Amino acid sequence: MKKTNRLFTVLIFIFLYIPMAVLIVGSFNTGKNLAVFEGFTLNQYRELFRDQDLLALLGNSLLIAILSTAIATAFGTLSAVGIYRMKPKLRKAVMSLTNIPMTNPDIVTGISLSLLFVFIGTGLLGQRQSLNFWTLLLAHITFNLPYVILNVMPKLQQMNPALQDAAMDLGCTPLQSFFKVTIHEIMPGIISGAIMAFTMSLDDFVISYFVTGSQFVTLPVKIYSFTKKPIHPKIYAMFTLLFLLIFVLMVTMNLLQLRGEKQKAEKRAKDESKAMRTFKRVAAAACAFILLLGSVLLIATTRQDKVTLNVMNWGQNIADGSDGTMDLIAAFEEAYPYIDVNYSEYASNEELYSKLSGGGLVVDLIIPSDYMIARMISEDMLLPLDFENIPNYENVIETYKNQAYDPENKYSVPYTWGTVGIIYNSKYVDEADVTGWELLWNEKYKGQILMFDNSRDAFGVAQYMLGLDVNTTDKAELQKCADVLSEQRPLVQQYVMDQVYSKMEEGNAWIAPYYAGDAMMMMENNEDLRFYLPEDQAFNLFIDAMCIPACCQEKEAAELFINFMCDPEISGANMDYICYGSPIAGADAYMEDYLAESEIIYPPEEILKRGQSYGFLPEEITRYVENLFLQVRLN
Amino acid sequence: MKKNKSILLSTPYILWMLIFTLIPLGVVGYYALTDPETGVFTWGNIRDLWLFAPTLGISVWYSLVSALICLLLGYPVAYYIAHRGATAQKILYMLVMLPMCMSFLLRTLAWVGLLETNGIINQFLNALGIRSLNMIGTPGAVILGMVYNYLPYMILPLYAIIVKIDSRLIEAAEDLGCTPVQVFSRVVLPLSMPGILSGITMVFVPAVSTFYISQKLGGTDTMLIGDVIERQFKSAGNPNLGAALSLVLMLLVFVCTGIMNRFGSDEEGGVVV
Repeated sequence: MKKTNRLFTVLIFIFLYIPMAVLIVGSFNTGKNLAVFEGFTLNQYRELFRDQDLLALLGNSLLIAILSTAIATAFGTLSAVGIYRMKPKLRKAVMSLTNIPMTNPDIVTGISLSLLFVFIGTGLLGQRQSLNFWTLLLAHITFNLPYVILNVMPKLQQMNPALQDAAMDLGCTPLQSFFKVTIHEIMPGIISGAIMAFTMSLDDFVISYFVTGSQFVTLPVKIYSFTKKPIHPKIYAMFTLLFLLIFVLMVTMNLLQLRGEKQKAEKRAKDESKAMRTFKRVAAAACAFILLLGSVLLIATTRQDKVTLNVMNWGQNIADGSDGTMDLIAAFEEAYPYIDVNYSEYASNEELYSKLSGGGLVVDLIIPSDYMIARMISEDMLLPLDFENIPNYENVIETYKNQAYDPENKYSVPYTWGTVGIIYNSKYVDEADVTGWELLWNEKYKGQILMFDNSRDAFGVAQYMLGLDVNTTDKAELQKCADVLSEQRPLVQQYVMDQVYSKMEEGNAWIAPYYAGDAMMMMENNEDLRFYLPEDQAFNLFIDAMCIPACCQEKEAAELFINFMCDPEISGANMDYICYGSPIAGADAYMEDYLAESEIIYPPEEILKRGQSYGFLPEEITRYVENLFLQVRLN
Repeated sequence: MKKNKSILLSTPYILWMLIFTLIPLGVVGYYALTDPETGVFTWGNIRDLWLFAPTLGISVWYSLVSALICLLLGYPVAYYIAHRGATAQKILYMLVMLPMCMSFLLRTLAWVGLLETNGIINQFLNALGIRSLNMIGTPGAVILGMVYNYLPYMILPLYAIIVKIDSRLIEAAEDLGCTPVQVFSRVVLPLSMPGILSGITMVFVPAVSTFYISQKLGGTDTMLIGDVIERQFKSAGNPNLGAALSLVLMLLVFVCTGIMNRFGSDEEGGVVV
């Protein structure tokens, strides 16, 4: 019986630690895929320490965790003393208030705080950036407070009240008696509360995810946005180092505590506080260490006073210096040293729209697609551009000017154009099946098909297959599309956006509709992948264009950025990485030949003729489609 | 004098909690009852809620199953730890806590690498000559993710209770002629009830509201209520419906924990008698 129980416990510990072992092994892997060990390397660690942005994110997390823990500990301890002295009835009421954030699901706490901050900040005070560092700090203090109180309260109740009276009898003021007597008695509670608060705060994702703005982001929130794509192994290296750090910290704390307890047992009556003192010293050393680490990281990453330009772009949609391409953001910052670009990403037009319409953000430049630009113009979400600041606009090819989504070309400057087709794995998919959009409904490939996880593109695929108008406002037609999508659902492995990369590159799914340029990038990482535009059927032809949203605060800097991107050399260098068509005249001269000549990026004219663009849909129809899509996903 | 002090010390806290926990819930209620386009009062969001009843049902079902599996896996482990020497207890306790301090996003991602069609487990099976299993995207994978992530939340409270059980009670039961099974079912199990209930609550609440686990490990049939809520805020642009759904989720959790507490106090009463 005992032996089986031991074996069982060992198995459970293996279960708990296997995923961590996978990550640690992954940090020494030369390849990106966790499931394939290609060779041993320490490069990921080198990369990690070279990545200033990643270290800055860790610094952000530590800063928030340290500040919120310090404030919550001090505030919580004093409050606990106050609550302890309350009448029992009132105390019960206050304690149930304390329990609300503990029992409430994190997602509800996060949402309620974010709605509050936006409601007060944007709604009542008219502030643009209502979600920022301070709201994040307030949220963390709020969910840390109960941990401190719930740890300190029992210690207060265990304390002998006569002690305090004795101190006062001996001439202490109430304040002195608190600092000389009470605080020592409740110290273990304060310390364990603080440790709990610190770890909760450091690893919090859900609440931070809803409360954070675009300018101050913590590590877990960033990791969430990373994980939509194949994640860079340097993240695993960071995980390994953090794991070691926490492991060592925990072991030393435990050892010293144990030793302290032994001493305590030895000279019990004589020197009871000695163990406590050792424990406190350890705790202080640990705190000092963490503080030091935090401040070093902060100093290493503080930026000087510069204009901050907040650019929000699609995932993997700008050349970033990897694979021998040009790092365009660095190049821009070099050209305009007083501008500091704060770059963040979104995975779909709808996500961008939600971020902007949710309020609480400052964003200076966005790159939405055609139909979303039309929607944003109609809702006054964009500012007209000052073309005086964008002389390079003359480089834009005439075909891409004055498009239907922005007829007078007042709000947008094209960034890329491209098509939507199907990417498939030729190792598994029979060439004979490669005809049109029907491939996505082919029973043979059940469970290996991926589908768009955004309503407009998913309905677009259905509309093109059925030969319907993509810009229809006819609800019966839309219902028909929803039916077709529901029929497809049993065949679909997963609805994805950026996740398509890892799924297709690692051969874990075989067929997916996606944007041509992204397909090119995937094909570079897996030579079995192919891309095609359906024969005899329409497909989406889109333009992504740079716009300035109404919440912009650095309009001139944003216009400089737009101008920079319209330079043929820059645009060409950008296309080398993102693999789309450039709307800038002369850009192909700067592109790699195989890209400039690729029929995927620049399809022949007769095929391009079948392309159709998404146009503007009224608000009511957009919402109707969104609801239909949700029903498809749910039923 | 004393009373004044206590008010002085606790008033800021009460105010803080009112502003940052109760009022935000009021704001959620306000959003739930207004129209996303016009901002006027409406019952529309509440009326739409029935559409999500099946999703809510799935979420509750998955998290209950996870909580039960956690209990079955966690109880023997907690029992084992509680019956070691002081040093071993400390070390084992620490080893249970350690995973909780590491990024749960990355640990879940490691499961994706393990469970994928071409993942580590299937490669291992293929090497043994066994055909690949289809694991990712199934309800099983989502439940596995929940069990894995929240198992420590079950073990820790169970351990805290079991370690406090007076060994003399067990000896007494043995002396009075109980078989080991009877000792367990009549003494140990009833005494560990508070730990079981708080463990179940601590697993159930985060599991029922998760969206990350189902997004990464789930497939097309495993969309949970957390996913729907996250989607309303982060991509569908309908925070009002999202707010209404969060209210439902919150109510559900409060009812469940309320029932648990009721159970808990009854059981305690029973033990005392």
